[in-house]
Amino acid sequence: MDQFRRIQTGKKGDIFLVLFKDKKILDDTMLDEIRTELAQLLGKASGPDVLLDFSQVEFMSSAMLGLLGQLHRKISSGQGRLKMCGIRPEIFQVFKLTNLDKLFSIHKDAPTALATFT
Amino acid sequence: MATAPGTAATGPTAGVDVLIAEDSRMQAKILQKRLTEAGHTVRWAENGQLALEMARERRPEIIISDIEMPVATGYEFCKAVKTDPALRTVPFILLSTLSDPIDIIRGLDAGADNYVTKPYEPDYLLGRMQALLATPLAESEEAAAATLEVSLAGQTFQVKAGRQQVLNLLVSTFENAVSKNQELVVANQELSVARDSLQKTNEELTSLNAEISRINAQMVRDLTAAAKVQRSLLPADDVSLPGLEIAWRYVPCHSLAGDFLNIFQLDEERVGLFVVDVSGHGVPSSLMAVTVGRFLTPKVSDSSILVRQGADGKVVVATPAEVATQLNHLFQADEFSGLYFTMLYGVLHVPSGRLDYAAGGHPALVRIPAAGGAPEFHGADGFPIAFVPEVEYGQQTLQLEPGDRIYLYSDGVPEAMDQDQEAYGDEKMAACLDAGRRGPLAGSVGSLLEAVEAWCQPKGPLDDVTILGVEWKP
Repeated sequence: MDQFRRIQTGKKGDIFLVLFKDKKILDDTMLDEIRTELAQLLGKASGPDVLLDFSQVEFMSSAMLGLLGQLHRKISSGQGRLKMCGIRPEIFQVFKLTNLDKLFSIHKDAPTALATFT
Repeated sequence: MATAPGTAATGPTAGVDVLIAEDSRMQAKILQKRLTEAGHTVRWAENGQLALEMARERRPEIIISDIEMPVATGYEFCKAVKTDPALRTVPFILLSTLSDPIDIIRGLDAGADNYVTKPYEPDYLLGRMQALLATPLAESEEAAAATLEVSLAGQTFQVKAGRQQVLNLLVSTFENAVSKNQELVVANQELSVARDSLQKTNEELTSLNAEISRINAQMVRDLTAAAKVQRSLLPADDVSLPGLEIAWRYVPCHSLAGDFLNIFQLDEERVGLFVVDVSGHGVPSSLMAVTVGRFLTPKVSDSSILVRQGADGKVVVATPAEVATQLNHLFQADEFSGLYFTMLYGVLHVPSGRLDYAAGGHPALVRIPAAGGAPEFHGADGFPIAFVPEVEYGQQTLQLEPGDRIYLYSDGVPEAMDQDQEAYGDEKMAACLDAGRRGPLAGSVGSLLEAVEAWCQPKGPLDDVTILGVEWKP
């Protein structure tokens, strides 16, 4: 199932697991690639449950938040759930600064996050 | 290598018993396949010793042998064949790279009948083989061969070879030379063609370069024009409003930015001020910034969401909460680009010093109290604008005291990264502003910008840096 360049994917039951492979998510080209890969992964699923794992990511631009917003809107409109985990303090700061820590469902690690899907 | 003329066409000899000595399995398989297709019987040995055993077991009609092999080289194998009374008249072809003249002498010394240079075409080898089979070595001549002493490259070789054998070897060597020469001629012609084509490509590149320069110049003009439009979103350098002192700095990290700020009179008593930060950089972000800017104008117009004409003809000033909610409504989440922006918008009632403000995902403003006391952060909840559809934004109120300073800024200030990816941070920012409280307002804004730029050395800030300072002086 691992045919992507930017994300590593898996499934736990019906939950899509997405691990961002890059240490730094910065330029627009990379964002476009991530956007495309996520669309390919989730394309056919209606209202999927998705867990995004940021444990590899050390730095990301604020534009990545825009991508997460798009994803959030798309998934919520289909009654799916989007959760995130493995976010480092430095990156969590970006969420906090924009109040988006209150919008997104953020958990410590993948097992903790997965337990909240039930 | 092309098939040499005059050899491949030699009479059809089929059903020949061929023995191959070759240590490369791949090479042997290719040759074996080709020979088998030509109707020959083929045996293959992977070294000279095994090959000799096979030759003694059943006398082959011709032997084709590589030179470099572990356990008995081609020369040793050849010599063994040529000194074996039962095998000596079996034609022996050596596969050689002929990289050294001494190879020829060694071949003669070993008694080889023919050379084929590597790499070879199987068809070429087949032609050589058939030519050799068509002119069998006379047993008598072999016996009559005299021993010659040959010196080459400081070595002496005892060469015992018959006339026909020498002739065969010389002809094969000469053919090789001719064939190599032909290859050289062809290579030379190809080189000449390649040179012409290179020259043509060069000319095309030169013309493409000129085209790129032209396009580049056009883009620079466009960017300059766009940057000019962006400048129109900013306050005048010497902006001055009654009852206030104002200082601002704005340093885009690209020629086009996603940040902008402004401060202006909304009505007789109220001043509007904001900092907006569109996510990302470059053209898409700056286009969105310009679009947002059209709505954030203090001139009563169809597009302004800050002020409108009331029923009584008076100007009605929208509250910061209304402005944020309305902007979020206007900029419905953009599904294509994922662009959004953060904003802190305030309305300051100048006579009273009451500041109402709303924020959408934007860093808190800093107050430096005139009475002394630590810098204060005043933020407001609220998601970035164009992030969550149709949400209501709230607003906060901050009562200023005479001489209080407030600073609005973009996240390019606290989030500025040093070489080790450490952020400049709220604390240093507040301390820097605090340190400048006794000096002029413009000095404190300038110092903060310098501190951020110094923090990001040697690369400089990777984000737009925007700072707006206001002092209330009723």
